[in-house]
Amino acid sequence: MSTIDWLVLVVTILFIVLYGIWKSRGTKNIKGFLLADKKLPWYHVGLSVMATQASAITFLSGPGLAYSDGLRFVQFYFGLPLAMIVICITFIPIFKNLNVYTAYEYLEKRFDNKTRSFTAFLFLLQRGLSTGITIYAPAIVLSSILGFNIIYTTLFSGGIVILYTVYGGTKAVSHTQLLQMSIIFAGLFLAAYMVVHLLPSDIGFVEALHIAGKMNKLNAIDTHFDWNNRYNLWSGIIGGFFLQLSYFGTDQSQVGRYLTGKSIEQSRLGLVMNGLLKIPMQFLILLIGTLVFTFYQYHQPPVFFNHYEVDRIENSIYKNEFKKLESDFANAHNQKQQHVNELVSAVNSENKSAIEDAKVKLQKADQQTTNIRKEVTALMEKNDPDADTNDTNFIFLSFVTTYLPVGLVGMLIAIIFLASMGSTASGLNSLASTTVVDFYKRMINKHASEHNYLSASRWATVGWGLFCIVVALYAGKLGNLIEAVNILGSLFYGTILGIFCTAFYLKKVNGTAVFYAALIVECFIIYAWLTELTAFLWLNVIGCLLVMLLSFVLQKILPKNKAVH
Amino acid sequence: MQEEKPPFFGTWNNVYMLVISVLVILIIGLYIFTKHFS
Repeated sequence: MSTIDWLVLVVTILFIVLYGIWKSRGTKNIKGFLLADKKLPWYHVGLSVMATQASAITFLSGPGLAYSDGLRFVQFYFGLPLAMIVICITFIPIFKNLNVYTAYEYLEKRFDNKTRSFTAFLFLLQRGLSTGITIYAPAIVLSSILGFNIIYTTLFSGGIVILYTVYGGTKAVSHTQLLQMSIIFAGLFLAAYMVVHLLPSDIGFVEALHIAGKMNKLNAIDTHFDWNNRYNLWSGIIGGFFLQLSYFGTDQSQVGRYLTGKSIEQSRLGLVMNGLLKIPMQFLILLIGTLVFTFYQYHQPPVFFNHYEVDRIENSIYKNEFKKLESDFANAHNQKQQHVNELVSAVNSENKSAIEDAKVKLQKADQQTTNIRKEVTALMEKNDPDADTNDTNFIFLSFVTTYLPVGLVGMLIAIIFLASMGSTASGLNSLASTTVVDFYKRMINKHASEHNYLSASRWATVGWGLFCIVVALYAGKLGNLIEAVNILGSLFYGTILGIFCTAFYLKKVNGTAVFYAALIVECFIIYAWLTELTAFLWLNVIGCLLVMLLSFVLQKILPKNKAVH
Repeated sequence: MQEEKPPFFGTWNNVYMLVISVLVILIIGLYIFTKHFS
């Protein structure tokens, strides 16, 4: 990176961190630290909710996923607006009127201690692991740019977030997220413009879309129903609805964001804003990935985007075989480029048979380059069975650092960092809230002073920060990070949502029944995932409905003295 | 507790209808987009 890029990167990050610390000065009690004194307006709530969900993974893995798999991932978010409505109607009034710090406090009021503790434990486990993966994403960026060992870059990117989250708590998180999202939106539009601008002069935005579309990269909607297809319209609306309902309704990293709203109305408006903007934003991110794909039809892409793994194979006994594959890949790419030109001519002349003919030839040529890439990854595995053979997380980064102009590279790298900082900060803050409110305050130190709880919250933030850094050090083995985070969430969210839905909608079910139901269902969900029973989004639906059904049945058959707490 | 009204569209139900309408429009729009460019 150039000096100007470094300057843009360092100044942006430093400004955001100092701004967050300045805005959160004077935090004196646990309410201020965990809920920002419940004084934030709706746009703060909305942007904070969006920034919490949009991590660095969104901006690194999202375009990479679209590059290799097309736009179909956008369907994953179709259930989100519906989930926002249910949360506005049911969850927000209950949480706000009960004046809770965490979502799990409500479970003790509705059920009993053990159900609250079990749900809070599931949350801590899931969120602790997810936040670790979130820290890993910007560490990849630093490692790739600087060539430093990823252990040091992980320590750095985790450390900087711990610093301002420990100092300012939720206030720092929310105020920094407001600025972060503004810069992120501006950067996204700029990146989309630049990709189109870098295409050959005779290829405009529409031609770029035609090329991507004919190569099956604009597959935004798939109406075909299949239990094992990860992303289609139905899994997105139904499975996505349950996943998003669980994430926004029961995950403290999100509940903690909209509890900061100064009224029920302001919290609701924040979520409505999220419901309206999320799908367009995600579509734009994925579209950038497909445009980068079109860009690489005219420019020779690397045979493998992860430079670290390329360096390793080039310095191994397989270097000659790798060089041969690189040369084959370059030849295949040149042939493919001819077919791309044929396709563009056919599209411009609106000759349908010529378009079909060029499309078939192009897809065949594309398959050839895909096969060579598979041979490369096989070679890497042969050299080292533990090699990281999934390079989708590196595709967008490689494009940005190689082709974007000076200044913009620094800004886009800053965006990746800011996104990571926003979601990591929310994650750490929610982990600390749950640890202190749901465990420390209830089980360890029941009648301590406000100062003691504030201090405990800060120490909990540090402790979870260190835990997440350790997780981040192992996150490289998980493949595409955006999928890894969502799969991890789906393992726990269904059960957690089932507990809350039982609390809201099955008024006759009591604590013991729902506790055992949740325990059994969680074991089943883990089993279903290990045996690949169905695509992961459906685990949310199955988990939620099974908990409700089983707790209803257990309520009927358990002896009354056990069912009633 | 009396429910606060939203600042626009009169009632919360109208606001939720807006969210659902935008979702439907987006899905139809993306469907046409997919078909057109494939």
